[in-house]
Amino acid sequence: MSEGARMHTLHKTSLILLLMASALLTTSFTGCGSGGRRVVTVRFWNGFTGPDGRTMLRLVKRFNQENPDVDVLMQRMDWATYYNKLFVAGLGGRAPEVFVLQTLAIPRFAKSGFVRGVDDLCAQPDGIDVHDIDANIWQGVAVAGKHYGAPLDIWPMGMYYNRRLFREAGIVDARGEPKPPTDRAEFLEALRKLTRPASGGKPDQWGFVFTNFESNVYSFMLQFGGEFFTPDDTRCIMNGPRNVAALQFCVDLIRKYKVAPPPENYDAWIGFRQGKIGMVFEGIYMLADLQKQQDLDFGGAPVPDVGGRRAVWAGSHNLCLRSDLQGPELRASWRFIKFLSDNSLDWAAGGQIPVRKSLRETPRFKGMAVQSAFAREIPYVVYLPRLPFIFEYQTEFNNAVEKALRGSATPQEALDTATANINKIMARERNAGSGGER
Amino acid sequence: MTRSRSLRRWSGYLYALPYLTLFGLFVVLPLLYGLRLSLFRWEMLSQLPPRFAGLGNYAEAVRDPYFWRSLVATFQFVALAVPLTVCLALLLAVGLKSLHGRRQAFYRAAYFTPTILTISVAGILWRWFYNSEFGLFNAYLGRFGIKVPWLTDTHWAMLSIVLMTLWWTVGGPMVVLLAGLQNIPPQYHEAAVLDGATGWKSFRYITLPLLRPVLLFVVVINVIGAFQVFGQTFMITRGGPEMSTRSLVQYIYETAFNNYRMGYAAALSWLLFLVIAVFSLAQFRLMKER
Repeated sequence: MSEGARMHTLHKTSLILLLMASALLTTSFTGCGSGGRRVVTVRFWNGFTGPDGRTMLRLVKRFNQENPDVDVLMQRMDWATYYNKLFVAGLGGRAPEVFVLQTLAIPRFAKSGFVRGVDDLCAQPDGIDVHDIDANIWQGVAVAGKHYGAPLDIWPMGMYYNRRLFREAGIVDARGEPKPPTDRAEFLEALRKLTRPASGGKPDQWGFVFTNFESNVYSFMLQFGGEFFTPDDTRCIMNGPRNVAALQFCVDLIRKYKVAPPPENYDAWIGFRQGKIGMVFEGIYMLADLQKQQDLDFGGAPVPDVGGRRAVWAGSHNLCLRSDLQGPELRASWRFIKFLSDNSLDWAAGGQIPVRKSLRETPRFKGMAVQSAFAREIPYVVYLPRLPFIFEYQTEFNNAVEKALRGSATPQEALDTATANINKIMARERNAGSGGER
Repeated sequence: MTRSRSLRRWSGYLYALPYLTLFGLFVVLPLLYGLRLSLFRWEMLSQLPPRFAGLGNYAEAVRDPYFWRSLVATFQFVALAVPLTVCLALLLAVGLKSLHGRRQAFYRAAYFTPTILTISVAGILWRWFYNSEFGLFNAYLGRFGIKVPWLTDTHWAMLSIVLMTLWWTVGGPMVVLLAGLQNIPPQYHEAAVLDGATGWKSFRYITLPLLRPVLLFVVVINVIGAFQVFGQTFMITRGGPEMSTRSLVQYIYETAFNNYRMGYAAALSWLLFLVIAVFSLAQFRLMKER
């Protein structure tokens, strides 16, 4: 939901206009297919309310032009409330034919039975070659051996760094080009060089800042080799020593090394845009925001490995089908999904990374500097834990991290509390699942 | 004779019928359905049918620290927002009453305008006002070397929400109180002036007692509204930092629509209903007795 948090500037009026427009379109199109042929309407829901929505709309328009017998109606809504609306629509049997699910939401929606598996469709002659998708990404949409969507893109967390500040601080290679750190020693050294106190004694330039607690801290924990659940998924073990050490490292960046500002008095992302921050770890989706800014000389690189193991947080958008689709509707919907997958390089140009390996091999993708830098992380990306109660898990995790970074609890205390709460949720889920005596 | 009387008695209900139908259908019925739901375990994600749980959901609430945390936050909001709103509304109403004609209409409209905005618009606006690095407020305060952590400090966040609420909602009670003030016959004040009452005394002993019914209405409506605070905190802080501004309604919303725990959410809603009912009754008692 990191994306959601950032994009929840929902414009109510534009949503209403969109609804009205789509209502008009439905009435005018469904009745009279051109040339007497029946036009299949495919409703397509997603949460692309930012600039990515305009990119997607262009793709939808192109598909509609090339496929006169199908009419795709796209509806965008804010990620923050998108899943609620989708879930309620599903309960009422009015879910759209095609919809986007982030990988974190797959177990939850698969469990509720709204989503159709895609294994049979991929295997068809007009399918998608699943070997063209990285194994860990394809595994992300699997629940109990079945795959519940066609992955469209991946957004690994990467490092954005300010090239001007790097040069000023002398963090350069032999040719004088800025040299992003790759391990812990280099990372800490760069942070020290980049952090500069102003004349008044208060730093006006910071090496690093936590822009997204969840993705940043989760990645550090993974790098430290932290575990979150027992292998049989029966118990949360998030308060293990490695996770505590990782969270302590994050706190140390603020309190001990003093190279990152405390979270209560800095608006993180805008600070980077203003050129006051050396490095931030953010998703590829922030790229469009930076590219708009002419006066910022920034670069993209893989996140340095600070814990001894390469790993970064990532998410994916997946194209999913309503579970009860059949006949022409199913065929039209799948054709649309295949179209988007095949053309995901156009989608990538708007600040995404396609999951199809063949597309990433093209010169066009290799020309996208930041995208291809972040794409180097794909072999070791890790999604969030796969849980039906993912949103409750996120609340607990984020609460613990927030407390620790703000200094109102030690890393051990904060993670102990979160672990106890998550185990309570798991016990409740088990009772709800096994209590089938009705 | 008796027939026309009974007809008259029933005609009242007949007139109210259109409203009562809607009220029953969309308020009373869902309310009762919610009460029934609150006695069931219904985890919508599990695909299992609801299970009767008696008072199990209520017992869970009593042991739920998040419930208590959000209740405390809600009480903090009520305790701060209601007195401030009512006092400011009264002050503005008294001020407006001393104006006449177009000037009164202008200022009344000016103070009332924010109330017309939807919370999404007002929320986005104030989130920018409050931004500690680039916000409007800190830009002005920065000239004096002051930097207020409006939304990022657990102590400040609720105050900031209250301040925003004041701006957003003071117009409604102000208009009601102004109407109340204008309904007080001027003879009373004239007589008081003849008896030598000063401005404050005539306000304290004539205006306030006569305004009591209107004031009661305003206070009760505001308390009920304040207990249901949701939009401001949801739009501006999302309940943070560290859940210091997560109101009970937000917790109910998240329980029902993020976590799909319908029975538990219904129980929480009924607990909120009880709290509001107790407070409203207490206020009626307090203000009527004197």
